[in-house]
Amino acid sequence: MKMRKYFTYIALALILSPPLLADSFSLSFSQNMTNNLFQNRYAEKDQLSTIGYYLDKSLNKFSLYAEGSYSHLFENPSLSYYVQDAGMDFIHPLNEKSAFYFSLAGRGTFYRSDYSDFNYLSANFFAAFKSYLSQTSIFKSNYSFEYKNYKDSVYDFLSNALMLSFDKYFQTKTTLKGEIDWGYKHFLHPYIYEEEVVINGPRYYMGGRGKGNPSGQGQYQYQTLTQTEGQGIQVISLSALIAQGLGNSVGLSFSGMRQWVISGQNPFAFIEEFYAVENPSYDRFSWDGFQLGSQLSFLLPWNIQMKLGYTVSEKEFPGIESLDLEGNLLGIMRKDKRNQIELRTEKNFSRFSVILSYSYMSNSSNDLYFDWNGHFLSLGIEWNMPLGVGQ
Amino acid sequence: MMKRAVLTLLLILSLISISSFGQKIQHFYNVDKEITVEGMIQEIIMEPRYKDTAPFLVVLLEEKKTQKLYQVEISPVWFFDHDFHKGENLKVKGSLYSPDGKSLNIIAREVQSRGETLFLRDKHGFPNWRGGKGQMKRRGKGKGKFY
Repeated sequence: MKMRKYFTYIALALILSPPLLADSFSLSFSQNMTNNLFQNRYAEKDQLSTIGYYLDKSLNKFSLYAEGSYSHLFENPSLSYYVQDAGMDFIHPLNEKSAFYFSLAGRGTFYRSDYSDFNYLSANFFAAFKSYLSQTSIFKSNYSFEYKNYKDSVYDFLSNALMLSFDKYFQTKTTLKGEIDWGYKHFLHPYIYEEEVVINGPRYYMGGRGKGNPSGQGQYQYQTLTQTEGQGIQVISLSALIAQGLGNSVGLSFSGMRQWVISGQNPFAFIEEFYAVENPSYDRFSWDGFQLGSQLSFLLPWNIQMKLGYTVSEKEFPGIESLDLEGNLLGIMRKDKRNQIELRTEKNFSRFSVILSYSYMSNSSNDLYFDWNGHFLSLGIEWNMPLGVGQ
Repeated sequence: MMKRAVLTLLLILSLISISSFGQKIQHFYNVDKEITVEGMIQEIIMEPRYKDTAPFLVVLLEEKKTQKLYQVEISPVWFFDHDFHKGENLKVKGSLYSPDGKSLNIIAREVQSRGETLFLRDKHGFPNWRGGKGQMKRRGKGKGKFY
């Protein structure tokens, strides 16, 4: 409650303070529609309206920014939420061909009553290095750290990720890129045990957070012990991309990724997957499998930008068991196969941009609850107000 | 304790970001000198262009028709957001200036390559690019809508 109050103050300060003091300020609005809000077998329609702002300011080599958005769901208003981000970043050139990038950011996400257990505060650190090995080949690496603190503390975690990539551009207008990623996510206390221990005489248990009365020599004493245990999951992945430029107006790319879970597993046996809600047990660290994608980008008359993409993936979720529709364990690991088509068009005007996107997803799973398909349509407008002096 | 630290960090960063800092005008975007150049990248470098700002990504572009060389200023952030290579074709729209009367410099407003247009500035020359947002997006910190 107290936390929510703090963030209300921050949000008000950001919105009401003269944004004229920033370099740029933008407002955005998007209207989203879907026929399967919860992304499961029992499709439910809903609409989501999001209104947001963004502002930033440059200070020497630093850039400071803040952004917030409120999303309202029409059929399920108790799932509406507010997200506040703020951060700073810094670019440090090493020489003419290489540079470091650092960013430090924080985020707070606050859902209304139904999802309030998923409210969280997070801190992120990101460091990147990019270097031109030659004029046609680039080496990149980055490291990211994240800490998330949820209202329901069983989901709290720390994560670390490291990426190395190398690309090469050929005279045929072809780019080849290879990438290796490693990640480790550590759930801090997904398991909480409570047990009542009978202790005799003046001795009492030293571990855990005892609530019993340790006094009263010679009498039985009772103590409730709370113990927690962490669990980690470690993944490694290899990716490759081939991109072909067909003039300035058309670009085509194909990508593939194979990820392995090399240690640990998800600690939560079953968490439902919800549209627009980050599932702590269904993120980039949670699966073993592959993903293949293709994308066609092209420019239409009047400088309308269009992207068409297709992705197929097959993922297993170590630690998560499939259930039947009655909720009985099937004794097999959850495995999903997903096909996704995306279409996105964007038109930039002098002061605002209009974005229209559509996607269709079809997910087949050995857990029938997650055997679903859905359509997702979004129309957004972003209004930019440059406030600083144009350089 | 950790929660308090995160909260404090978020508060400080939020408040700092709306504070006022002086901004110095160096060379500026002149809409009357806007040109469009199509050519091939000859070199890519990072170098300081404005006082007290991060170094800019500068692309040396050879125009197809005239073989003239232009130094195209893109922005500091795009060094990490987009991978340009020597030999790539670009179509650049921007404001032409020549600080010494000899070299040809373009402050880029739009860059077209491989079916994508990067909108770096609006029609009046105000920067569209942003500091951290692009980086954040690249790290996939968005809501878990399309896992």
